[in-house]
This record gives sequence, structure tokens and C-alpha cells, in this order.
Amino acid sequence: MELLIIFISASIVNNFVLSYFLGICPFLGVSNKLEKAVSMGLATTFVMVLAAMVTWLINNLILIPFNLPFLQYVSFIIVIASLVQFVEMFIRKTSPALYRALGIFLPLITTNCAILGLALMSVLREYSFIQSLVFGLAAGLGFTLALCIMAGIREELELAPIPEPFKGAPITLIIAGLLALAFMGFAGLITG
Amino acid sequence: MATNKVKRTLFFEFTKGLWNESPVFRQLLGMCPTLAVTTSAINGFSMGLATTFVLVCSSTIISAIRKLIPSQVRIASYVVIIATFVTVADLFLKANFADISKALGPFVPLIVVNCLILGRAEAYASRHSPLPAFVDALGMGIGFTFALLVLGTIRQIFGTGTVFGLISFEPWVIMILPAGAFITLGFLIALINFLKQSTKKKELAPACEVK
Amino acid sequence: MNKILRMIVVLTVIGIISGAILALVYTWSLPKIVENETKATDAAIFTVLPDTKTYKKVVALDLTYYDCFDESGAKVGTAILCQGNGYQGAITLMVGVNADFTEFTGMTVLDQVETPGLGAKIGSSDFERQFNGLVTKPPIEYVTGGGTVHLPNEIQAITGATISSAAVVNIINKTVKEWLQIK
Repeated sequence: MELLIIFISASIVNNFVLSYFLGICPFLGVSNKLEKAVSMGLATTFVMVLAAMVTWLINNLILIPFNLPFLQYVSFIIVIASLVQFVEMFIRKTSPALYRALGIFLPLITTNCAILGLALMSVLREYSFIQSLVFGLAAGLGFTLALCIMAGIREELELAPIPEPFKGAPITLIIAGLLALAFMGFAGLITG
Repeated sequence: MATNKVKRTLFFEFTKGLWNESPVFRQLLGMCPTLAVTTSAINGFSMGLATTFVLVCSSTIISAIRKLIPSQVRIASYVVIIATFVTVADLFLKANFADISKALGPFVPLIVVNCLILGRAEAYASRHSPLPAFVDALGMGIGFTFALLVLGTIRQIFGTGTVFGLISFEPWVIMILPAGAFITLGFLIALINFLKQSTKKKELAPACEVK
Repeated sequence: MNKILRMIVVLTVIGIISGAILALVYTWSLPKIVENETKATDAAIFTVLPDTKTYKKVVALDLTYYDCFDESGAKVGTAILCQGNGYQGAITLMVGVNADFTEFTGMTVLDQVETPGLGAKIGSSDFERQFNGLVTKPPIEYVTGGGTVHLPNEIQAITGATISSAAVVNIINKTVKEWLQIK
């Protein structure tokens, strides 16, 4: 039950992109084509789940026992960066087809603040290992969801007559604002 | 003559971050903190200062040791240096400005992954000597702080419904919600695009006549 | 080989320097951070039980509460730390009860992520002040909309933020009940 609450909360109610503003850069950058959005979303979800596990282990097995909380940021970011590198190499070796689909997005994921944000938030909320795992999966899927919705809208938008100054980033931001408003309708889903 | 030239370029490096290459309005870098912490002017301003501190320190250090770092591990080295300064900034805020630190929450540590900082390190600091790198970082930092301050002020005025206590009107709750952040920034960038387009037309007009 | 060695040396040196700087800054800032946290707790306890001069922290099961004493060492009451789910996320608050547990002496919201401008008003002094002097039995109730408060155990919910107001009431009732069992 508790896991379900974490899942719904992280994927929909407190969507990482639309209510925590995490991962805005890829959200604005790669949301112009639905196909790209799906690939990017899935690659991010994959790294998020891995990052949630590894950072939990580092925090609870190394940083807390040795009383080194001040090394948290440094160690987390290194772990995430090397994780991304590792995933990239692994995919390239095992599945060239998947690599062609996801490859170019992988380096971008390192500077996606959603990943570091996820790691820091699960520390802050004192999640257990399983809880962190679910949190990572849910946040990743929520990110994918937001990305896909946005991509769907932007594909239609290309046909719309937009005033010149609003073309590109401004109209995307305004649509994101409307989406955030729509997602507010989910708030209150998990009370009680 | 030579000093004059250096001075002029330094001045150019400094001012480009303020307007022409403004990190937020032009390059769309560092969007996450821009949107998240600008619920009030003071929050936006503190976030801007913290980011500027990290940006200036890490750019200067990276530029100073740029020749020692092998290029294969440069990103890893940059990230460690940046994360170190972010932790310093975070601890400093927690120790001396507990309220601000609480208001900014997880967005202080997230300065680490602010693409602006890594972007400047990779694109500028790793190719220039410490002095220009310092000036470039300072300009970008101030440009970033300015953008956050503007956004924070606009959202605060509409969200709380008062202009510094002088005029008061019905507050627009949406402005301090996440949705308000996206929409305000969207309109601001559109406004800047509009200004840029109209000035460009004026500049180009005589040239066209000559032809 | 030489290249790899250089990579390792550079990364190690950067790591060591960074670790050393952080350890230094951390030892410098830790006492201040602890002091800030104590100050925040002090302020919260003083808000809900203004007569407090000294207090003793008690942690039992999942509950944290502070037994509070005045200058002469007589018990003035207990400040209880309460936590629960609000409309959008966790709410943490502190509530004070007097020594013979007949009425609430005050309430202050410590942490909340409710909607700014609506639910976030649970942190306003107008809302918090309603809890001063409420009777402890029966449990707190809330009145919605334009209704007025009649009974000594009722508070007025914030217009447009009934769920947040209700969440505060539920959190307090639940925690106080648990506290009575372990007291």
C-alpha cells in the first residue's frame, strides 16, 4: 500500500517535470518528436532505477557508517556520471539496435537534474531500499509520461499559426504551464 | 595599446553574459532552478548568488589547472570540482542563512547539474586563461542572477497581489504555482524575442536602402 | 601507460583536495547548523508553550515530544511533534498541551508543501491561533464554509483549503491519541 502511494505520488501527483521542475532541459530539448521522446524517457527511467539503487547503497553502506554526509553530492554525481557511461558501453556491446535508438541521449542524462534530484530526495525522505527502487521507477515513468504528452502536442503545434516571437521555447513553456495546471487536478489523490 | 585591447575584450566577455548571451533568456540554460525557486524575488536572488559563486570559483579553478587535466577525464574532474564548491555553498547557507537554505531546499545541491556551469567550464574555462574565465563566469553569473530576480519579482508581485505594499489587488494564485513559472517565463522570452526582432529590423533597414 | 597513470594521478589528487576542503568546511559549519536546528526547535516550543524555560526531549516509539518546565522547575506542559499527510505532501507541526492535559496551548506548522496561497495558509498565524485554548476532549472538529464556531473543540477551516485544514486536525488528533497511550 505504501509502495503504491509512493508510486502514484512520484509519477502523477508530484510529477518530476511539472511540479518539481526537474529535468526541464531534456523536456524542452527533445520533446519535439514523439518517437524521440519515448526513447529518451525510457533511457532516463532505466538510469533512474539504477541510480536509485546504487546511491542508496552508497549512502547507507559508506556515507552514513563512516559519518561522511558532506561527500554526498560529490559521490552521487560521480556515481551517476559513471553509471551513464557504463550503461552506454553495455548497450553498445550487447544491443547495437538499442544503442542506435538510445545512444545519443545517454550522455545528456548525466546533467539531467531529475536523476540527482531523485537520489537526494530519497535520502531526504529516508526511503528503504525497496521504496527507493519504486520511487526511481515511478519518477522515471512520470518523466516519460510528461515528455510524451508534450511531444504529442508539439507535433500538432507545427501546423498551428503561432505569432513570430512565441515560436520555439516560449510557446513550449506556456504549454508546459497549462499541462502543469492540468496535473494539479491530481493533487489530493493520496490524502487520508 | 595591448592593454587597451585586453581591457576591451574583458569588458566584452563580461557584458555578453548580461544580455546578448543571457543564460536564461537566450541560451535556455539552467532552467530547473530558474523555474523552481523564483516564487519570490529574494529566493531568486539568493539562488542566483549561490550559482554565481559556484560558477566563478569552478571556472577560475578549472581554467587554472586546464593544462594538467588529461582530456579523457576532464568531465569527471570538472564535475568533482563543481560538486565541491556546491557543497561549500550549501553548508555555508545552512550555517548562516538557515531560512533561505530551507526555502531553496533541494535546489542548492542541484546546482551541480545546472547545465550553465558545466557548459561554461567546457565551452570557455577549459580554453582560456584564468582572468578571462573569471570575468566570463562573473558576467554569466550576474546575467543568471538578474534573470532570476526579474522572474521572482514578477511572480511575487502578481502572486501576493501587492506592489511593495503600495498598490494592492486580488492575488493571482497561479503565479506562485508551478504553472505560473512556466507561463511567466514563456511570455518573458517571447517579449525579448519581440524586442530583438524589432531592433534588428531598425539596424538592417538602412543597409537595405543602400542596396 | 603513461597517459593512464596521469589520468589516475590527476583524478586522485583532485579527489583528495576536494575531500580535504569539504572536511574542513564541514567541521567549521557543523556547530552552526546544529545551533540553527536547536534554535528552530526552541522557537517552536516557545510558540506553543510560551512559559517554557527548559525542556527535555523524549523519543518513544515513532513519537517525539518535549516535556516543558518553567523557571521553578514545575511542569508547564508538553510539546508534541506531529507528522502526517496533507493535500500535496507531508505536514510537520508542533502542538502544545498543558500539564494536566485539559487544553491545547498552541500549534505551529513547521514544514508543509501545500498549495501556495490556499492550503499553505495553514501556516498563517490566523489559522494557528485558533488552536490556542481548544479543549482536548472530545477530539478537535472543523467547521467548513461560512459556518461559525460554537463548541470549544471546533476550529474554522480555511475557505478553499478544507482538505489541508482537515489534514491538520486529523494529524493532531491521531498523534495526541498515540501520545496518550505511551505517556
